[in-house]
Amino acid sequence: MPHIIDAPVDVELSPDGDPRAFIWNRFEHTVIGQPQAVFRRTRWWENEGTPTRIDTELWRLDASRGGEEQHRYDLRRGTDGSWVLALDWG
Amino acid sequence: MSFAHLHVASAYSTHYGVTLPDALVEQAAAQGASFLAVTDRDGLYGAVKHVRACVAAGIRPGLGAELAVHDEEYRPLGRVVVLAHGNTTGRGYAALCRAVSAAHSTDRDAVRIMAARSATAHAAAHAGAAAAGPSISRARLADLAGLASLTVLLGPDSDVGLAIGRRDNTDAAVRLAHWQRALPAEAVVLEIVCHLAESGTVGSVTPATRMLALAENAGLPAVLSNAVRYGTPEEAVTADLADAARYLLPLAELETPQTNGQAWLKPAGAMRQVARMVVDAGLHDAGALERLLRDTEQLADRCSLDPEHDIGLGRPRMPEARIIGVTGDPVAELWRRATSGIADLYSASGSRAVEAAHAQLAHEMKTVEHLGFASYFLTVSRVADIIRGMGIRIQARGSGVGSVLNYALHTSSVDPIANGLLFERFLSPERQTLPDIDIDVESARRHDIYREVFRAFGSDRVSLMSMTNAYRGRGAVRDAGLALGLPDAQINVIAKQMWRFNARDFRRALEEKPELAALATEVRESQQLDQLVDLTAKLDRLPRHISVHPCGVILSDASLLDRTPVQASGMGLPMSQYDKHDMDPMGLIKLDILGVRMQSAMAHAVDEHHRLTGESIDLDRVPLDDAKTFELIRSTRTLGIFQIESPGQMELVGKLQPEVFNDLTVEISLFRPGPMKNNMPLKYLQARHGEVMPDYIHPRFEPILRETNGVVIFHEQVMRLFDELTGCGLGKADVFRRHLGKPEQLPQIEEYLRERALARGFSEKVIDQVWTVLAGFGSFGFAKAHGAAFALPTYQSAWLKTHHPAAFLAGLLTHDPGMWPKDLIVAEARVLGVPVLPLDVQSSALDYRVEDLADGSQGIRLALPELVGSTEAERARIVRHQPFGSLQDFRDRVHPRRRTFEALARVGALDTFIGYDRTRRHELLAHIQSLRGTAVSIRADQLAFEVELPVPRYSGDRAGAITSLELRGRTQTDLELLDLNLAIGTHQMTRFHALFKELGVTPASELGTLPGGTEVLLAGVRRATNTPPMRGGRRVVFISLDDGTGPVANVVFFHDAQERVGGQVFQTNYMLVRGRTRRSGARGVSVTGENLWNLFDVARQVKERHAVERAAAEEAASAAAYAAELAAHPSTSRAGGTLHHLSAAQSA
Repeated sequence: MPHIIDAPVDVELSPDGDPRAFIWNRFEHTVIGQPQAVFRRTRWWENEGTPTRIDTELWRLDASRGGEEQHRYDLRRGTDGSWVLALDWG
Repeated sequence: MSFAHLHVASAYSTHYGVTLPDALVEQAAAQGASFLAVTDRDGLYGAVKHVRACVAAGIRPGLGAELAVHDEEYRPLGRVVVLAHGNTTGRGYAALCRAVSAAHSTDRDAVRIMAARSATAHAAAHAGAAAAGPSISRARLADLAGLASLTVLLGPDSDVGLAIGRRDNTDAAVRLAHWQRALPAEAVVLEIVCHLAESGTVGSVTPATRMLALAENAGLPAVLSNAVRYGTPEEAVTADLADAARYLLPLAELETPQTNGQAWLKPAGAMRQVARMVVDAGLHDAGALERLLRDTEQLADRCSLDPEHDIGLGRPRMPEARIIGVTGDPVAELWRRATSGIADLYSASGSRAVEAAHAQLAHEMKTVEHLGFASYFLTVSRVADIIRGMGIRIQARGSGVGSVLNYALHTSSVDPIANGLLFERFLSPERQTLPDIDIDVESARRHDIYREVFRAFGSDRVSLMSMTNAYRGRGAVRDAGLALGLPDAQINVIAKQMWRFNARDFRRALEEKPELAALATEVRESQQLDQLVDLTAKLDRLPRHISVHPCGVILSDASLLDRTPVQASGMGLPMSQYDKHDMDPMGLIKLDILGVRMQSAMAHAVDEHHRLTGESIDLDRVPLDDAKTFELIRSTRTLGIFQIESPGQMELVGKLQPEVFNDLTVEISLFRPGPMKNNMPLKYLQARHGEVMPDYIHPRFEPILRETNGVVIFHEQVMRLFDELTGCGLGKADVFRRHLGKPEQLPQIEEYLRERALARGFSEKVIDQVWTVLAGFGSFGFAKAHGAAFALPTYQSAWLKTHHPAAFLAGLLTHDPGMWPKDLIVAEARVLGVPVLPLDVQSSALDYRVEDLADGSQGIRLALPELVGSTEAERARIVRHQPFGSLQDFRDRVHPRRRTFEALARVGALDTFIGYDRTRRHELLAHIQSLRGTAVSIRADQLAFEVELPVPRYSGDRAGAITSLELRGRTQTDLELLDLNLAIGTHQMTRFHALFKELGVTPASELGTLPGGTEVLLAGVRRATNTPPMRGGRRVVFISLDDGTGPVANVVFFHDAQERVGGQVFQTNYMLVRGRTRRSGARGVSVTGENLWNLFDVARQVKERHAVERAAAEEAASAAAYAAELAAHPSTSRAGGTLHHLSAAQSA
């Protein structure tokens, strides 16, 4: 079962624009393998206001802290470019 | 690094793409792309705009279309992208045009049926929407793709891609093999699309990577695209709205909404990222990523079109000489025809006129030869000859009227020399665009003309032009409301208020417009309505659909269908997918053949006169100085006269008091938004009526400005001023004139003008003065050629109204050319002493006919089509079998439906069978209603009932007769309004006249006798609402009220009054108005409105008061007290007691 984290994190990007590492709880987590981006649409008409985007950008990736065992995480990027660590899949 | 997008829908893919081609190209260029294709759905709707934008931005254009395809048994094969190959000297582009046209000419029913029978539910659902639209057969596509002309991209929406989506790789491979067998080698390419959607949904990496594997296995190239629907991610919301509008469903109910918002024009980096994810998700060899990107780039190279050599941009193509009846050199032929035309037209005016005309002709011919437009003039003149040969009235309009050549060829009927018009306003070596000649014809014959032109030129050389209809306020709010799932009733209420402002300014309008105050409050309280405001603004001005242009006909040579795709128009003739903005760049000759109802109305009047008297009137030869005609115009009784019948025009005519033909040209030219905003009418009127001295600035300008008393009104005057000041020549002067509207050009023009004018002997002071006038003129004003071309039918219609009122009004009633409703024309007829005669099955025709009356005067017989609910077949039978001997005879030969039969009886059209004794009509109606029988089908698929119909004896014992209660308590006016929508016996306001008298309402006919500033009450039914552009920008609302006493009374509501009155100024139709008279000129009078009330409310209140008064009168005790009160509040004054009563009621 995934843990809901929902914490803002700093993300370092590769030249191609993929997340390469992120810093969570002062520890750097290094991405392993090819992260996969997914854009999930919203039912924006059910919310207040008119959105600038109709989808949410999520990155599913495997990362490890130092030499520790790798976990699978979901990172979410907001429209303003800020990152949130959404889920830890374990 | 750059990426070439090969699959992009522009906003011209209506209800699908949402970004205009210019914006897409600009974005692509900014992203470093050197190529961009536009592949609109079902057509090349945005193609020309795209290519021009690419040329401007310096990138290579590609063109294609996303088309549905079916197999030989009409089974749907999904949608594919068809791309034209470049550097084929136009072969690729021509094949693309033909493919699009072929898709539109397919038998759609067959495709629809097969789509419904399609094997799998998924494919059926997917193909269902597509099958309703155009579709091309694979065999036809294969033909066109030959000679390496086209590439066909099989993407996720093709049958192959759909099979992949179903995870049926075997089926996908089989289907791909079919494509490979059917199409030429190298024409088939697989298209990889991935929108990074969640796994398991459309647009995820899984189907994309499988598609790539399929290409590898089949040894076919694969290219990457993003199936673009919008430029930026922000526009994805608009695409959601487009989907809702396309499926006519709220967003919440869409079965296949776009999977996410990633179908945007992604830059190279983002596309590479997508490619990487697609490749990484499957088992591909090491070079797969680079190969995919390289194949994409190579296909883009292959599909790069040369605007000139492939598309033929900027190269005009006229019909071949033999088609326009020329065997030798077109220039020599043009000379010959023009010279003989001049002899015909000018010889009566003396040798000097002939000489001047020849000199002007020589001057014009030089330009025409230089530009190579001889065939063009011959083509237009050929079309004009065709139209005239059909016996149809024709009148040229537009700047072409300024050309002696057009006059000599009989294309135009306005003498350019006598009217001081300039050829250079129309054509000059400095003017690079194709010339534009507009032809007005009788509206009722327009389609006949089109068919004849298609026949004469051949359908491979002629096409109708289309026009793009863009979203405006109402449509935008309706589709936005639909997307949000708002109830229809609520959307309707809001949509009704969406006018007189741009939808993109919706939010600002809510804050500013007093009549929207209630809506603004609702918006503040509702989240959905708040969204609605934003979404409406997003849709505004996006292309919505295309339709046939009301007048554009494209004439070309036999290569036309290689250069423009066509589809069927509503009237069946082929219509180009290109609109008027695309004509000139594509070298397509467009002729505007515009149906003008007034021309039909005048033709009808002339025909009626001929029918009754045997005399033929040649309107084009009527002298232009008829005193009585100008007297009528000056009286401002201009209702029904071309161009000068609107309330504003009536007012201006009254002030201007035209005396000669040129005054009409001036009047029409002044009544335009530009001159109005620039306050030109006032300046001109002051000078005309001697209130100020005409200011010619310099004696050398006097010949130019004399005709308008020193006020610069016409483009031609500006051109002459430039020429006089600088000696630049009239052609160059027209270039300067057009640049006056561009503020950034002004300093350059000024510098040139000052330098040259000084050298030519004008003082600094004069130059300062004249430059102020010219710079202030901007792009305002009007071409005198337009004004003179409008003034001719204005004069002709005024002449007819003056001398043949019955025939003219019959023409107006038949063809309804003007702004006023028919009952106002009926009222005008009544005032002019021309009775409109009731509907009568013995004499009513399919159009309004003039009848000679016993007293020697003339009347107009109501036409049969006015009977609401009658069918064309019934009316045709009535006319065919007139006259009728008896009711039985009528029934037997006409076989009307029951509904029509009864309606005819009700309005009195069958009174002939009861000796025109109106009092017995109820018996007739009852008799008809009592008839019973079985419905039977007769000729022309009409139902009639088969019964015995003995004509009743209406003589003798009337007490025993049956009766119909349907007529009880109803006046003839009620019945006419019910069955004809038109009261002809008496005016519908007549029933209010007693009320008006009691309230002290001034009849419209008496307004002219009152001095300015008189407080008056007016009442009537609203006939027109105008919000003309005004100096200062504040909105002014004109309402024209008809009370049945004469011409309409015009009431103007200024801003303060609008705030007081609120929405009623637009919503109330029967009204009582309080205001003050305002004199304008010798004859004109209007009323400045201060307040208005709903007339029915007023009538009710007065009735209630009467009831109270009656009750009071019955009570003797209170009678005395009431009498005292009456004495204190006399109700006989003009704006008397009732009104105070009303004010109190309103504030309560």
